[in-house]
Amino acid sequence: MAKIRVVHYINQFFANIGGEEKADIKPELREGVVGPGAAFNQAFGDEAEIVATVICGDSYFNENLEEAKKTVIDMVKSQNADMFLAGPAFNAGRYGVACGTIADAVKKELGIPVLTGMYVENPGADMFKNSVYIVATKNSAAGMRDAVKKMAPLALKLAKGEKIGASAEEGYMPNGVRKNFFDTKRGSARAIDMLLKKLAGKEFVTEFPMPDFDRVAPNPAVKDIAHATIALVTSGGIVPKGNPDHIESSSASKYGKYDIEGVMDLTADTYETAHGGYDPVYANEDADRVLPVDILREYEKEGKIGKLHRYFYTTVGNGTAVKSAKGFADEFSKELKDANVDAVILTST
Amino acid sequence: MRKLEVGYIDIHDIQFSNESKVENGVLFVDKEAIKKIVLEDENIKSCEVEIARPGESVRITPVKDVIEPRCKVEGQGGIFPGVISKVTTVGTGRTHALRGSAVVTTGKIVGFQEGIIDMTGEGAKYTPFSKTVNLVLVMNPIDGLKQHEHEYANRMAGLRVAAYLGELGKSVEPNEVVSYETYGVKEGMEKYPNLPRVGYVQMLQSQGLMHDTYVYGVDAKKIVPTIINPTEVMDGAILSGNCVSSCDKNPTYIHMNNPVVHDLFAQHGKTINFVGMIITNENVYLADKERSSNWTAELCEYLDLDGAIVSQEGFGNPDTDLIMNCKKISAKGIKTVIITDEYAGRDGTSQSLADADPSADAVVTGGNANELITLPKLDKVIGDLSPIDKIAGGFENNVLEDGTILVELQAITGATSEVGFNCLSAR
Amino acid sequence: MKPTFKIVTNNPLVVRELTGQYTVEFVDGTYHDVLVALRDQIHKGHRLYSHPLSGSVKPNETPYKSVLISIKPQSLDMDSVEMIENSIVTCDKFPVKFPHMPDSMREDFQVIDATLLKGALSQILFE
Repeated sequence: MAKIRVVHYINQFFANIGGEEKADIKPELREGVVGPGAAFNQAFGDEAEIVATVICGDSYFNENLEEAKKTVIDMVKSQNADMFLAGPAFNAGRYGVACGTIADAVKKELGIPVLTGMYVENPGADMFKNSVYIVATKNSAAGMRDAVKKMAPLALKLAKGEKIGASAEEGYMPNGVRKNFFDTKRGSARAIDMLLKKLAGKEFVTEFPMPDFDRVAPNPAVKDIAHATIALVTSGGIVPKGNPDHIESSSASKYGKYDIEGVMDLTADTYETAHGGYDPVYANEDADRVLPVDILREYEKEGKIGKLHRYFYTTVGNGTAVKSAKGFADEFSKELKDANVDAVILTST
Repeated sequence: MRKLEVGYIDIHDIQFSNESKVENGVLFVDKEAIKKIVLEDENIKSCEVEIARPGESVRITPVKDVIEPRCKVEGQGGIFPGVISKVTTVGTGRTHALRGSAVVTTGKIVGFQEGIIDMTGEGAKYTPFSKTVNLVLVMNPIDGLKQHEHEYANRMAGLRVAAYLGELGKSVEPNEVVSYETYGVKEGMEKYPNLPRVGYVQMLQSQGLMHDTYVYGVDAKKIVPTIINPTEVMDGAILSGNCVSSCDKNPTYIHMNNPVVHDLFAQHGKTINFVGMIITNENVYLADKERSSNWTAELCEYLDLDGAIVSQEGFGNPDTDLIMNCKKISAKGIKTVIITDEYAGRDGTSQSLADADPSADAVVTGGNANELITLPKLDKVIGDLSPIDKIAGGFENNVLEDGTILVELQAITGATSEVGFNCLSAR
Repeated sequence: MKPTFKIVTNNPLVVRELTGQYTVEFVDGTYHDVLVALRDQIHKGHRLYSHPLSGSVKPNETPYKSVLISIKPQSLDMDSVEMIENSIVTCDKFPVKFPHMPDSMREDFQVIDATLLKGALSQILFE
C-alpha cells in the first residue's frame, strides 16, 4: 500500500528561518520535511510520510488571513495530500491561532482529515478545539517529543478513517462530543481516587466538566426609575444600516458604539442586524424588536424613565468567545459608569 | 465495633438436577422446586426456568431484576429483611454468597420493556451480568393482572428463589472470607484519628410504579434520609423495585454488591476512615427534594465528614436531587464527588444532565446512555424478543435484516451504572 | 382546605380519574407542549410543585406528562424557571420513540404517568 501523503504546516520559527523579525514571511512550500517534521516521519514509520512542508510567518498569516488561507490551501491541494498536520504550536499564541485556522480551513475546503497540537491555554485551543482535533501538548517546545508521540498515532488513525476513541484515550482536547470508552478502573474506584485527591488538595480531573457558569448576582433594583438614565446594550448585532464598523456576523472581535441622539424609532432604512445564525428578517424589518429604542422613547416622553442614554453598545453574540465578550463589557461598562448611567437593558437575539 | 464476615462461595456453573445443592463450585438446581416457589403466588400463572452461562449465544430480555443468592449463617436477622425475613436489623455475623451466580427475573409487565443481558458479543461487554451464571425465571401472570400487582409478584418471586438458592450455601466452605468492620463515631475517631472521615450518600430511586426501592420493606419514597450501616446492604436491606432505565438502575444484585461500599471498605483504615452510609430518595414532589437534600447535608455534617461520595439512580428528575445534594453537602465544607451517567444524545453533543452547578466539580460518569451499539443475532432468546423495539433504548424497526439489533446503551442492563459498577466512562 | 395546586397534564387517564377531586388543566398535545404550557404559566408567577421530568421513562418515549403547579401566580420563582427551562432542553433532545404506538402500550404509559403523579400527591402534606 502506498504511504499516506501528509502535508505539514509550521511557522517561521520552527522552520529555523527566524523569530519575531521574520514573522511576516509569506507562505512557502518546501518538498519533504522541515524542522519537527522529521520526528513525525520517524513516528509514522512505513505508514505515512510528510511529502511537503508549508512555512508561513505568524504575523503574515494573521494579518492577511484570507489571502494566507487561500495560498496555503492551494499548496496543500497541489500535493494531493491525504492528511494535513499543523504545528504543534505549544504556547505560541499567534502560531496556535494560525494552526487552528488553517487546519479548520483545510478540513472544510479540501475535506481531508486534519490534526494540530498546542498547549491547552493557547488561545487557538479555545477557538478551534470543537471544530478540529487538537492534541494537548506541553507549554513549550521542550514537549516536542511527547507531542509527536501523541499526535503521530492519532494522525494515522484519522488518515486511515479509523474510529476515533474518547479524548482521554486519544489525547485530543475534549471537543464537546461525549464518547464512551472503557477505563482501567471501575467507576466507584475512580470516584474514591478523585475524592482522595480532592481531600488532599491535589489536582484532579473531573470526567464531566459542568457547563461554564458565570452567574452574576443581580444588582439591587433601581429606586427611582422615573429619574434614571437607561442605556441599551445588545448582543443581537443591531447596527446602523451598512454595518459601518464591520462587526462580524459570528465570533465578533469588536463591538460598536452608536449615537442615537434624536433617533425615535429604528427603521428598516436606518438600522439592521449584523448577527448571523438566525433568521434576520424580523430584526431587519424593525430593529426595535431587538433594541427597543421606540418604546424607551415613549417611556421617556411619558416620564416613566428619566432618559435614554445617548449611545447604545452592540456586538454579535453568535459564537463570540466569552473572553472577548467580557473584554468588550469591561471597556464600555467604564464608559457607561462615567456617563452616570443608572441602569442598562441588555438584549439578545 | 460491628463486623460482618462475608463468605464467598465461587460458583462456576449452574446445572439442573433432581436435588438442589452446591458442590465443587456448581450450583445444582431442582427446576420443579424453583417452579413451586415461584407459583406460590397465585398471580403467576406459569413459569419457565432457564440457565444462561457466560459466553453462550443467549440473550435475556426483558430483564426486571438481578439478585445474588445469599444466606445468613450467623448473627441476627435473615436475608432480605422486612420482605423475605423478619425486619430484624442485619449486617453483623456471617453471610454466605454464591459469588458468580445470579437469579434473573423477566416478564412483560407493561407494553414497553426494559433490559437486555447478552451473554456473548458486543452487548456482553457492557452488562456486568454476562459474567455471572444466571438462573433465569420467565414468569407469566394470570390474565388481567394489574401492572402494580404484576410488578410485585415478579419482584417477590425473584427474591424467594434467590433466598432459597442462597440457603444451599449455608454449610458450604467458602473460597474466600472477607471481614467488613465498622466503628461507632467515638471508636472510629480514636482508632483513625488522622484519616479523613468519608461517607457515602446513596440516592435511591423512589418515584412511583416501577421506579421504587425498598429499605427493610419500606418504600423509599416514604423515608427521610437516614444513616445505615454499610454492611446492612450486603444482607439485602435495600431491594430494587425499579424496572425502568435498565442501564442506570441498580438491580438488587448491585445493591448487595454496592461497589462504592466495597471500594470504600478497601480503603478503610488505610487512606480513609469510612464512617458510614446515608441513604436518601429522589421523589417527584419538589418539597420532598428540598427536605431530603437539606437533611442529607445535615447528616453529613453531623457525622463530621471531610469527604463524601454521592451516587445517583436514574435520569432527569434525579439529576435535580443529585445537584441539590452536591451543592448543599459542598456548602458544609465537605469535599464531594458525584457519580452519574449521561444522556448526551446519540451523537454525544447534547447537554448530558438536566441540572448543573459549579460545586459539582468532581464528577465520575458511567458513560453516555444514548450511544448506539449493534448487538449480534444470538442463537437463543430467553424471555421475549418481541418487546425489543419497545425497550427503552431500542426504537422502531431496529432489528436489521441480518438479525442484528441497533440499540442505545440504555437498553442494556447495568451498562451505565451510577454507582460505578463498571469501567465504562465517557469524555 | 382547598388545594393550592393544580395538575397540568396531557394524560387522559389523569383527567378521567382526578377531575373533580383536583383542578385539572388538560393540554391537548405532546410532552413538549405540556412543558411549554407550564413554562408560560411559570413566567407569569406560578410555581412548580413537582418535577417536570418525573420518571425514568424518557420524554418522547412516553408521550404523557402530568405536573403539579400552584393555582395562583405569585412573584416569579427563579428555581421554577430554571427547572422548566432545563426540562424543555432535556425533553427536546429525545426523539419520539414510538410514532406508531399500540393502544395497550399507550395505556401503560398513562398508568405510569398517573402513578408518578399520585406519588407526588400522596406526599403533599400542606401547601
